[in-house]
Amino acid sequence: METLKQKALDYTLGVLPKEESLLFEACLEEDDDARKFLVEAQEDCASLSMTATPASLSNEVRLRVMEYTEPKMDFDPFLSTDDISRLRDNFSSTDNRYQGGDASVDINDIKEGAIKDEVLTSYDHLINLLPMISGNSKAAAGEFEDLQSVLRSKPSLSEGVDQILEYDLKSENPATRSVLRTTLATLPSLSFFSDRLREDQANLADTRRLFYLCRDQLKIMRASFKDLDPDRLIEDEKLRLHGAGLLQTKWWGAEHAYFSSKGQVKCGHFFDGPVTERCVEFAEYDANMYCLANLLAPRSSTGDFHMELLKDAIPGATLAVATAKMSDQEHLSLQQIITGSLVTGGTAMQDHFLWKLIEDSMLRGHQTSNLKELQERKIYGINRLRDFTYLWFAWPAVL
Amino acid sequence: MPTIEKDLWYRIKDGDSSAFGELYDGFAGAMFSLSLEILGDRWEAEEVIQDIFAFLWRKPESYAPDKGKFSSWLLVLTRNRSIDRVRSRKRRVDRGESDDILSAREDQNASDGAEQATASDERSHLRRAFKKLPPEQVKVLELSYFKGLNHEEISERLELSLGTVKSRIRLGIEKLRHTLSTLRT
Repeated sequence: METLKQKALDYTLGVLPKEESLLFEACLEEDDDARKFLVEAQEDCASLSMTATPASLSNEVRLRVMEYTEPKMDFDPFLSTDDISRLRDNFSSTDNRYQGGDASVDINDIKEGAIKDEVLTSYDHLINLLPMISGNSKAAAGEFEDLQSVLRSKPSLSEGVDQILEYDLKSENPATRSVLRTTLATLPSLSFFSDRLREDQANLADTRRLFYLCRDQLKIMRASFKDLDPDRLIEDEKLRLHGAGLLQTKWWGAEHAYFSSKGQVKCGHFFDGPVTERCVEFAEYDANMYCLANLLAPRSSTGDFHMELLKDAIPGATLAVATAKMSDQEHLSLQQIITGSLVTGGTAMQDHFLWKLIEDSMLRGHQTSNLKELQERKIYGINRLRDFTYLWFAWPAVL
Repeated sequence: MPTIEKDLWYRIKDGDSSAFGELYDGFAGAMFSLSLEILGDRWEAEEVIQDIFAFLWRKPESYAPDKGKFSSWLLVLTRNRSIDRVRSRKRRVDRGESDDILSAREDQNASDGAEQATASDERSHLRRAFKKLPPEQVKVLELSYFKGLNHEEISERLELSLGTVKSRIRLGIEKLRHTLSTLRT
């Protein structure tokens, strides 16, 4: 009897060896005492749980949790379109996955000294900022003074972004592309939250959002400039599965900002499972999702947009889809921006660069130099259904 | 311990979102406190809570009444998911061993004087009862329940026999159970 009690307790604590666990589970079906002892063990462990120091959740967590009860957007009409059917019929995985290195340049390849300095300064600032906003920081415990003090001691990150964008960045050379990727993908949103924490009433939700943005931006920067932080880049290039959960944590119920546009992100279809094999690959995937979000956020007619990851829609691929309700005029303008027609400068040129960054990434992700072929296979694209605009890209699934 | 009304799980199983909200309002705090205690990281603890509630909404059938009280099942699930993350973290990052984390929990216990007045009586009593356990039982329970070490690991760390580890866990739990039953009578 004592042995059975001990087994029940060990099973509840998760320390019973696997074979004994299976035997105990089988025993539960037949043995009333085993079931009784398991219930007792569970209640004992629950009592232990209640000795934890009380801590409270912010209201924002409740909002995120309750979103699970909202009806999911129906993607079947989109998945039945000719484009996606074509993608489904023509998708094939590459033999080798992207492992980093491509399109990564040295920091000295940036010809413009001021841009180089800005990239270096920004990286140092973010590296020092990250521990101050991590989950075990004082800011995460609700003490924001030190964080705000550090943020206020530096120029606003938005100013840095604006300075870089004043330069002519039309060139196709890899260094310019790396500058664009590190400036236009995550950084606009990061700057927004950093500035808000800096200037306004600090809160946990913004601190949390800033943490995830900062962590992602650092990975994107290291993947873009290989000599920026070589030791950490080695870690980023190691084999380490990244799950859809990491993306869900960031995007689910998030507030997104892209320069003067703000939007609320809706999700519904994220799955449990790996998306990429290494941090450098995850940085690619992540940057692409930010680019999609940045293209949609300013044009959404409701201020919201959907960000979804679909696992089984395309065999062999994970399909990232961003969609928003948009006017016909905005959709047309977005199409022109994507194709580059009628794009002469300003924000239209910036947005055109966002699409070019996605295209560059598709070449890396699918290990090809033939962009036209990827376009024909509908690996990425834009579509319109009723009054919704859809942007997507397909990435080789981790099998 | 916060109580969950019996029919709440049935209503959630039927897709009642207001019941889901009631569950969150009544219980997420206790779950989060536990997860934060184990992980020491607010964002990770929030992820655990979010994941568990997502799991409950998608698969309410994962609980069944014959598994015991819904509240107890939830707390044990929270503990186990949090411990999974600790183990995953240890595999990824070479950290200093949990003496630092252990002392963090001891520091938290020492600051009981500043505990929020909103903590339930039962929880306060349990915390006081836990602190009053013999130190050797506290240590073993901390390592087992809040750090997720198995008996062999505890035995090695504290240089105790396996039998002593098991008996200290059992005795500590029995004392807490006795405290709780005294409180409820």
